[in-house]
Amino acid sequence: MKCTGPAFLWNRTASDVAVRSFDEAFGLVRAELALASGSGDAAEVFSAHLEMLEDPMLREAVDSELAAGKQPLEAVDAACSCICAMFADIDDEYLRARVDDVRDVFARLREAMCGESAVREIPAGSVIVSTELLPSDTARIDFSSISGILCARGSVTSHVCIIAHAHGVPIRVGADISGIREGDIVEVDDPLVGGTANVVAQVRAAGRRVYANAGSVEEVRAAIAAGADGIGLFRTEFLFIGRECMPSEDEQRALYREALGACGGKPLTIRLLDIGGDKSLPYLPVPAEDNPFLGLRGIRFLLAHPELAETQLRAIAAAACEVRDAHPDWFAFGTPVRVMLPMVCTVDEVRRVRSMLAGVAGETCPVEVGIMVETPAAVLCAQELAAECDFFSIGTNDLTQYVMAADRGNASVGSLYDAQSPAVRRAVALTVAAAHSAVRPSSPVSAARPSGIPVGICGELASDPSATSWLLASGLDSFSLSRL
Amino acid sequence: MVSAKTVIQAPTGLHARPAGELVALVKSFEGSSVKLTAGGRPVNAASMLSVLSLGLKCGAEVEISVDGGREDEALAAVKSFLESLAG
Repeated sequence: MKCTGPAFLWNRTASDVAVRSFDEAFGLVRAELALASGSGDAAEVFSAHLEMLEDPMLREAVDSELAAGKQPLEAVDAACSCICAMFADIDDEYLRARVDDVRDVFARLREAMCGESAVREIPAGSVIVSTELLPSDTARIDFSSISGILCARGSVTSHVCIIAHAHGVPIRVGADISGIREGDIVEVDDPLVGGTANVVAQVRAAGRRVYANAGSVEEVRAAIAAGADGIGLFRTEFLFIGRECMPSEDEQRALYREALGACGGKPLTIRLLDIGGDKSLPYLPVPAEDNPFLGLRGIRFLLAHPELAETQLRAIAAAACEVRDAHPDWFAFGTPVRVMLPMVCTVDEVRRVRSMLAGVAGETCPVEVGIMVETPAAVLCAQELAAECDFFSIGTNDLTQYVMAADRGNASVGSLYDAQSPAVRRAVALTVAAAHSAVRPSSPVSAARPSGIPVGICGELASDPSATSWLLASGLDSFSLSRL
Repeated sequence: MVSAKTVIQAPTGLHARPAGELVALVKSFEGSSVKLTAGGRPVNAASMLSVLSLGLKCGAEVEISVDGGREDEALAAVKSFLESLAG
């Protein structure tokens, strides 16, 4: 979809006139961060920034520049460069990444000193033009009122892209933004937005299912109303983040029950909590890791915290039983309740979750168990995994990153991060072949399927019209789109 | 002021998690100013950024110095924390 609108320069040439002292600005920013770290999508980002702001080193660096006779704004800039330089020298990728947080915090201080409110009003219909939009920036944008986004850096799976696409806002990353002035009329061409109508039509014409990805009950409702055949990815993180304690089993059960009701008997694929490493919960601290994407995340995190996984499984099973009692017809041809495990690498991980589920809900609980295929290990062992699973769903965002060994947020390897590269296509083909030729010991829930399990796709690639033909040809049974 | 030297034994050095724990430990000694010195550069041990900026790797020699408050107790606690790091 193409859109045009007046450019709104996010990183407008900063004003060089300080109207507040450093101390006043510090107080303002601290109050703002404290508020923002309390709740919301980006609460963890803000609480990390708050910690950074309150770090004595930040103040010492600014004070020493002031003592050396610098003007306040110069002192702030110098302190920022000085701290960033210190980290740039450290031979550790993870620590170097903290430099972004430092820059973010200093940018806020600078804005506050120049009297600009941290949230500058973005005129409705604007195209936001920026070198880069960090998660903390994203949290400040009202996506319903902007036309589009142009970013010089980032990739199609960076945070801002996913959020923009979820709102149907066209975004272009890796764009040449030099020379664009505030108010210039600019165009954003994003094939991933608006093009899904064609994807839906093609998938339906081929007799495959069109599912939707959802991150809340409202999104489930909207997707079903828009005609989705079910939910191919129901993210449950929203239940767990931005709060002080773990959601209770009852609270979770009520919500899964509501989501199942909203699906009206169509499949609801509930992904177990997918966190760890780079994303943590205040009530379940994750040890910092040098390489979070290869660390304790997804199913690994859940198996390391069995109480968390058991509570979630128990809540899902209870909701499934309630729904079955209320609507036995929804279960006439199998169960619509599907549990999906993230980041699976081994058969043992699936077995452990199955035995956990049997332990909390019994063998006849009307819940299917499947996995996200998003690691090379899962692709290479797809045959063995298919024998233990009721379904597969290929998560192409992470799969691409792991198959290509290219960080999806790192623009300098952006050309390698290609979900349509031959290696990823082959991974999809191997997974589909393994799923369709699976020989399954019959289970009480899916006795109707003697052999072969369904396999879908739930990454951004599913919505990309340029990939639809080969994805259909590969034999995928369902396409779960970020937006219908 | 009291001080002591130690060597980081943890194979992965003093990375983000233990640095955070160290900062919390140091902050628990109110009234004591704790500094770490490595490579001739002294930094405030109550600052996560400062501690991380030392980039302490396995085998790095660190001097701990404590000024004010419960000096000996704080020194012993920080020293044993750094020496107990397993990685």
